Amino acid sequence: MTTYQYLIDYYRELPFLIKLIGALITLSVILIIGLTIYLKGIRRYQRKKHADILKFKSEYEVMLVEFLYADDHIENEVEKNSFNEWLEQIEVEPAIQDELDDTIKDLSPIQQSIISKLRKEALVKSKRKIIISILYKLMEEVSGEMSDSIKVLYIETGLIDYALKKINNTEWSIKAKSIGELSRFEVKEGHYEVVKCMDHSNKEVRKEAHLYMVNLFQFDGLYFLNELKTPLSEWDQIQILEILQRFDDQQICDIRPWLKSTNDTVVLFGLKLAQIYNQYEINDTLIELLSHKSKSIRVCVIEVLTHLYGLEAKDMLKANFNELSLEEQLSFFTMLEKLVIPSDEPFIEKHLFHKDFEIQLLALKILKSINEDKYKVLNNLPADQKSKAMLQLENTI
Amino acid sequence: MNKCKIVLAEDNSTLSLLLKFRLEREGHELLMAKDGKMAIELIENHSPDLILTDIMMPFISGLEVISHVRNKLETQVPIIVFSSAGQEEMVLKAFSLGANDFMGKPFSPNELVIRVNRLLA
Repeated sequence: MTTYQYLIDYYRELPFLIKLIGALITLSVILIIGLTIYLKGIRRYQRKKHADILKFKSEYEVMLVEFLYADDHIENEVEKNSFNEWLEQIEVEPAIQDELDDTIKDLSPIQQSIISKLRKEALVKSKRKIIISILYKLMEEVSGEMSDSIKVLYIETGLIDYALKKINNTEWSIKAKSIGELSRFEVKEGHYEVVKCMDHSNKEVRKEAHLYMVNLFQFDGLYFLNELKTPLSEWDQIQILEILQRFDDQQICDIRPWLKSTNDTVVLFGLKLAQIYNQYEINDTLIELLSHKSKSIRVCVIEVLTHLYGLEAKDMLKANFNELSLEEQLSFFTMLEKLVIPSDEPFIEKHLFHKDFEIQLLALKILKSINEDKYKVLNNLPADQKSKAMLQLENTI
Repeated sequence: MNKCKIVLAEDNSTLSLLLKFRLEREGHELLMAKDGKMAIELIENHSPDLILTDIMMPFISGLEVISHVRNKLETQVPIIVFSSAGQEEMVLKAFSLGANDFMGKPFSPNELVIRVNRLLA
């Protein structure tokens, strides 16, 4: 007791600063102990959560494999309540409905029992996430009948309903994810909702919506371009083209409406399609685009016309050469390099001393390709009478 | 067909399980590896009749597995590689290292079984 009293008296007599430091140290120690306990608790929780995820994952994986390899098919009528409920909520094309109906009729009792188990498990959000991630990853790895079965499982377990509901979520990340999910599981029935997101304010949502349309409806899915108001980024365009090239049927639809779009990015995308799919029949529309208000489009049109051997456009551009911008002039000379004929020689000679070095160089190369003797004569000119390009190409015959 | 030992190196556990189930039904014995390192251990310890390997795997890639089998272990055990879209260059490398066949993902497990049986025949 006396010791405690002594310590209290000793503390009271201490200077204020020492008292303050002591209080701070005590507080820090308490905080550190508290935080340590808290962090340990979090770590334990995370470990348990991770272990649970692994446990559920392995359980669901086994169920999925059982479902995919359940051979015991039955011909009898099966319980289709879940499917009918789903059908009531959304409009389904008759052909798709028949196809799914047939698949469901083929389900064996084992498969039905797995569906019913997974349906119950999917009611819990965390478990639902695990199931979706397993199905999602497997869809990337397998094809054919197996991917059709995964799709049936996705629909029958009611996971489709959650995805369709999530499209209307106000948070963009959830919306984008749900569209990506519908795209992965090839759920065409969601397209009425997805179409509404084509001009969404968030670019990720827009991108997922565009990819959904192309993934599921191939070239027909591109009709969203007719109405697109928002910009179609270069990356989106590359992704769409990459998907289109995967399809067996490479029969492209009429791209003219997109070339006439008020959205410049749609026009540029249409030009890419014209070049990749060799759209020779749209030359007239392309020539009209040579007077487009956007310079980048005009330059791009010249490039496409070069690829499509647009001789008519070549003559037009040659006649209006001086009115073209420098980029267009350069693009035109690239066109000439491919489509040059001997009668173009005077025009080329006229531009051997063009103010732009690249045009000089191209003109010289083209001249060399059509009249090597004249090129030799130019090569022998005194250095002070030569253009920069001539000096560069000196003695390269 | 005799029971053959197959090493399957694949980091997607669901796909591994699916293929294990399918190939075991065909009468083969499957040894599963979730990464390249484990695959090499299994190959060295069990001398399999066939190897199925993904290209992109943690620690050691499928290409390194092929190289190890062909150059270090110097065995001619058939190897089938799995590759995803956009890995064409990797597939060419796999062939130059000594792979016998490849399957692009997504693939059909039934088709894989046919290829496996053909290589084991």
